[in-house]
Amino acid sequence: MKIKILVLAIFYLIGSFNLSNAANSEKVDQISKNLRCLICQGQSVYDSQSDFALSMKILIQKKIDEGKNDEQIYDFLKSKYGEWIVYDPEINKNTVLLWVLPLILFVFGGLLIFRKVSIK
Amino acid sequence: MLNQIGNYSLYIALLSSILIIVQSPILLNRNNINVSGRIFSLISIQSLMIIISFIALIIAFIISDFSNETVYNNSHTSKPLFYKISGTWGNHEGSLLLWLLVLSIFLLIFTITSKNLSNKYRILTIFFQEIIILGFLLFILFTSNPFMNLFPIPNEGTGLNPILQDPALAIHPPILYLGYVGTSIIFSSSLAALISGSVNKIWAKHIKDWVLISWIFLSIGILLGSIWAYYELGWGGFWFWDPVENVSLMPWFCLTALFHTILILEKREMFHSWAVILSITTFSLSMSGTFLVRSGILNSIHTFANDPSRGVFILCFLFILITLSIFIYFFYQNKIKNNFAKTYIVSKETAVLVNNLFMMFFLSVVLIGTVYPIFLEVLNNDKISVGPPFYHKLIVPFMIPFLIFMAIGPNFSWIKDKTNRINLQQLLFFILSIIISFIFLKRVGVSYLFSLPLFIASFFLFFITIRDFSAKKTNLSQKISHFGFSLFILSVLVNGVLAKEYSSNMKVGDERKFLNKTINFESLIIDESKNYQSLQANFKITDKNTSINLKPEIRVYDQPQTITSEADIESTLYSDNFLVFNILKNDGFYNVRYQIKPFMIWIWISIILISFGGILSIVKKNG
Repeated sequence: MKIKILVLAIFYLIGSFNLSNAANSEKVDQISKNLRCLICQGQSVYDSQSDFALSMKILIQKKIDEGKNDEQIYDFLKSKYGEWIVYDPEINKNTVLLWVLPLILFVFGGLLIFRKVSIK
Repeated sequence: MLNQIGNYSLYIALLSSILIIVQSPILLNRNNINVSGRIFSLISIQSLMIIISFIALIIAFIISDFSNETVYNNSHTSKPLFYKISGTWGNHEGSLLLWLLVLSIFLLIFTITSKNLSNKYRILTIFFQEIIILGFLLFILFTSNPFMNLFPIPNEGTGLNPILQDPALAIHPPILYLGYVGTSIIFSSSLAALISGSVNKIWAKHIKDWVLISWIFLSIGILLGSIWAYYELGWGGFWFWDPVENVSLMPWFCLTALFHTILILEKREMFHSWAVILSITTFSLSMSGTFLVRSGILNSIHTFANDPSRGVFILCFLFILITLSIFIYFFYQNKIKNNFAKTYIVSKETAVLVNNLFMMFFLSVVLIGTVYPIFLEVLNNDKISVGPPFYHKLIVPFMIPFLIFMAIGPNFSWIKDKTNRINLQQLLFFILSIIISFIFLKRVGVSYLFSLPLFIASFFLFFITIRDFSAKKTNLSQKISHFGFSLFILSVLVNGVLAKEYSSNMKVGDERKFLNKTINFESLIIDESKNYQSLQANFKITDKNTSINLKPEIRVYDQPQTITSEADIESTLYSDNFLVFNILKNDGFYNVRYQIKPFMIWIWISIILISFGGILSIVKKNG
């Protein structure tokens, strides 16, 4: 429900822009590549041509024009849509294993090999 | 009629499966009985029955027999014949029947080609393979029967998802399945070898072909999927780290590791346990892949079938198989001859171990990245997305040592290499790579943290693999595959760094400037095709001396109603010109996306080279 209202609000926002001449800036591309298109099946905002994705790009452009930096824009989007929207999960107590587990496995495997081979 | 034929033959196949499973423990204790007797005829009957049921389904699709529920749900009389046939496996029920078909045919091939191996090993392999076949038969007959009757018979079907109506995607699933299912033989035979105490040279030699065949099909299957994603999904990329793509990549890492390990087992009788563990893991990953895709718990473009009860069945089946294999492993582990031959640090054996370490690391990154969000959501109700940035951050830094190692490793000798030798040639190539990478990146103007070392490592591998063509230590198929891999990495990197993209909203007659090029939206025509309407645009791209025309399409399919964008791509050896356009809400305006993708074609060629190395290895051995 929340998301629906938000989407509607954003559609309203589009009204005030002229879509036809907007060539997206490189910055918008860069940020939208890291965002999930929430109404699509496994596509980023950058890749999608859905209404949601198009309005997201406009929203990002607006935030850039307001002088917000990348961090602030991501934080803003995360607070609105939740962690799910970013493809690059931040490290916190929920995701620490996601980031660290492969590294632990690598070190563990490396030690195993090191023990097995003789150096001389 | 066709439904009855299909159903009855599947039940006969089920019966043969049960008979074989019941008989094999009895035959096991009689040493002088040859498998080619009763069990062989049962296997032949079973394969025949499954082939008949599969053909029945294909015919039902061809003649649009809508008394069949699967046909009704996935076909339409207006579809071209080719897509009527490919519709057979473009859906859940049909694709499982294809899995089953490959399972039984592979078992038949195994039985025929393993005649000179011990009876016990053969019967046990057949036994385990039949358990898998039985599981799939039960799954198909009781949760996903492709031969369900529909009454009253509808006049028209509901159609096949238009996004699947594509030549590459029509053959992508069968090829990928051949790879997945090939790992079942590896699984069954490794358990059989474990129990019969024959995890040794002979087993390695025999199973190596199966490993290679699965690996080749898997590689080509992944390639076809990527090519399809490139021109059909309309964003110009070929890999998105989508969960379903990941699922096919995981067994690939495992098979690559297994193949290298098997080589050592064959030549030096080492790493027995590890080869068995990898064999079990590879198949478990292939099965989990099917489970993850089929259950619909993944959020992905590929999940065209989802039904929780089916997911639960595969999950239970998977759980039983994995538990069974773990028990067998720990129970019979002491039968493995452990060879504690000394492994020296600079030797081919160590090189293979390090290769395996990296493969397992890449596998764990992809595995954890794919399943972690699912577990987190169940346990914590937190939804997170794991996408390309995550994979790049973890994989790229490890790629650098991996590539350098891949350049040096294959040239080590067996047992012990002369450690104190400094290889002047390699050093020269390394310095050359540094210089080239530095100049290249300076000219392009890229300054990411890892790009310089990454480019150095891949140029180094590229030069070394070219030089290795003149070396005597390794065989030709290895040289081709390794060279293909270095070409692949280099093409992906250069493509990533040099790709240029322009996106804008245009209407007919508009002109845009991009770099030194002019993009002209010249015309738009509407065309009627057999099962869709299409909007064909004509764009003219001109620069100083050349001009090309690109004609992308928007297709409106009516059965079921879907809009797809077909990119138009002009490929040359140097670069691809990629153009795709989409409908916008504003009247008359279209979103146009134009991309220049250098060396794109080399990405495909390199994967073909990698697979070709494998094919050559099989052909050479048997020819």
